[in-house]
Amino acid sequence: MDLLNQLEAILESDPLIDEVGFIHPSQFVILSKECGESGDSSEDGAFGPRNTKFWNRDHKLGISTEVLLPLCKAAKSAFMDAMKQYKTLSSLLDNKHEDENITNGSLSCQSFASEVMKHSRALLLLSCDFGTAWNSRKLVVSKKQQLSIFMDELLLSALVLSYSPKSEQAWSHRRWVIKMIAGKYSTLQEIIAKESELVEKIAERSKMNYRAWNHRCWLVSYMTREQMLHELKKSRDWAGLHVADNSCFHYCRRLMLGISEISCCKQEGDNSSYDVENYQVVKEELDLSEVLIKRYVGREALWLHRRFLTLLTIRHLTTKHGISCHFEQKTSMDNEINIFLDNESCLLDYCSTIQDTEFEDFKAQAMHSAIYFLWLITQIPQFREIELQVKLKAGNLKTILQNTCPERFFLSDFSDLNGSF
Amino acid sequence: MGELAADKHVEYILSVEKRKDSFESVVMDHLRMNGVYWGLTTLDLLGKLNAVNADEVILWIMKCQHESGGFAGNIGHDPHILYTLSAVQVLVLFNKLDVLDIDNVATYITRLQNEDGSFSGDKWGEVDTRFSYIAICCLSILRCLDKINVEKAVNYILSCKNLDGGFGCTPSGESHAGQIFCCVGALAITGSLHHVDKDLLGWWLCERQVKSGGLNGRPEKLPDVCYSWWVLSSLIMIDRVHWIDNEKLVKFILDCQDVENGGISDRPDDAVDVFHTYFGVAGLSLLKYPGLKAIDPAYALPVDVINGIFFSR
Repeated sequence: MDLLNQLEAILESDPLIDEVGFIHPSQFVILSKECGESGDSSEDGAFGPRNTKFWNRDHKLGISTEVLLPLCKAAKSAFMDAMKQYKTLSSLLDNKHEDENITNGSLSCQSFASEVMKHSRALLLLSCDFGTAWNSRKLVVSKKQQLSIFMDELLLSALVLSYSPKSEQAWSHRRWVIKMIAGKYSTLQEIIAKESELVEKIAERSKMNYRAWNHRCWLVSYMTREQMLHELKKSRDWAGLHVADNSCFHYCRRLMLGISEISCCKQEGDNSSYDVENYQVVKEELDLSEVLIKRYVGREALWLHRRFLTLLTIRHLTTKHGISCHFEQKTSMDNEINIFLDNESCLLDYCSTIQDTEFEDFKAQAMHSAIYFLWLITQIPQFREIELQVKLKAGNLKTILQNTCPERFFLSDFSDLNGSF
Repeated sequence: MGELAADKHVEYILSVEKRKDSFESVVMDHLRMNGVYWGLTTLDLLGKLNAVNADEVILWIMKCQHESGGFAGNIGHDPHILYTLSAVQVLVLFNKLDVLDIDNVATYITRLQNEDGSFSGDKWGEVDTRFSYIAICCLSILRCLDKINVEKAVNYILSCKNLDGGFGCTPSGESHAGQIFCCVGALAITGSLHHVDKDLLGWWLCERQVKSGGLNGRPEKLPDVCYSWWVLSSLIMIDRVHWIDNEKLVKFILDCQDVENGGISDRPDDAVDVFHTYFGVAGLSLLKYPGLKAIDPAYALPVDVINGIFFSR
């Protein structure tokens, strides 16, 4: 219990802690030496150089691995007790309508509420996926309904995410807070922007973190079209520096879909100008995709992203010309599709030349390019119809597959649908 | 190729049940119900469920139930749909569904369905296609699937389908093998697999196999034994399991064993845990490795247990 009191005292005295770490006891000695023997600071006090269980300086908190188990047990026990009492009293008060003891009752309730908040905070730093503790905070906070208290929840979960970036409960808690805030306070757009930045910061250290990027995708439904375009530009740049991060590319895809959906829904204004702008966005992505593919040889995420961009392009080309019976329109559309496929064909030729076999990357590049092209001509209906192109490529594709990934050769059986090869 | 160290794995699982006093196990307290499901299903697949005292386990499970009908991960914790499924699955393993007030459990789940057909995990409202699978799987086992709006549930799942053929946790979420398993499983149980483009999805799934023979969960990630379950069962449900190299996968899973101390890890030479032990053994069962009971790819329970639910009443 004493350990718990110490921890909670530190947390109380330093609300700006932004980093927590579990440290081997031997490292405490090193830490003490680094900050010297100047233990005259009254803030550090009992938690300065001599303490071998906790370390608190510059808003960082270190906990000795030796005390983790007893500390965790104590925190859990204290939390469960406080929770039980809070819930019991809380439901008693909810049931009473008028009672002269209600003031005293609610004061007790307040104090149990603070106990719950105090113990749950300590517990969650040690056991970040303890769902019941997060829930208790939601319960207390939802009765108070104050912006500052909601923001405190964002601070605590950010602290947890700083060392447990995959904590499902922490991300989920943030979404709950944002849903509570949405519509009540005018700061929502700012909060969304900050959330997006937080994910980017965490994603830098925690590659392809599914929960983090999923959270960012979730934010998109709260964004305006301008915000989406801004986010896309930022993410495009980030993706260019993290070409193996499939999650970032997915986020770009999410934004592009969001941008085109929001444009479709707009009743007023010129829809065609949105279409042009949206297509411009897709074209820019395609150009960048080609640059990255040629620069970063053999990267799967880049090729998968290109599949999506091609789908969007074909979608745009077919809707632009509409479901038209006019021969000229259809010919024009077919021409554009042919030209597009021609370009992809050139890319395939460029990428399927295995320049050397010293590293795996050229071989991987050839494989990815072949599978990409095969995917286009089998999964996209408009390409399936272009027999001439496909015929010319088929033999070549099968050879590449045989050389680079014989286990995927069976995929080329798709192109035998027409029986023409 | 190595062999499955079945006896060692049984020993490992039984030892985990007893080892409760380390920091690592204390921080997993909240999901003990899941752990019990992973451990006991593995024992059953290995033919050793009788090594456990069923009455003790069932007693503990019932202590985890709330008046709302839902189950918590451990005694004194809050209920959640995740632990409710595990509780029901373990009771079914022991053929003890009769200890349940089925209406009570069913009501807990039906209350979690939202207007758009999605499911929340608990009263705090987080939505995820995993919860859709759980609701459908659980109510199907309890034989009261008609208590939810199945059509809306299916439509919500379909709205989470991406252009690459995969599924995410919410609409426009990144395709992930785990989420795909949940969505495909739910669609299978509700007889809605015809909505899935099996060639397109099969394509995405077969690309999860890497050179070592293991499977990853998303592009560019390392292989992990747990995907041997999620990718594999999805492929089986859409009839494309021949699109991956089964032999290589068996070898990969066997390489992930700790043959001395028992247990299976996420990839070769890492630390073992019950979670990966379960998925490794379940994956081998799907691959028809000898000496293992058959497992149902949609319900994630032994086939004889599932048959018991649907064919003997």
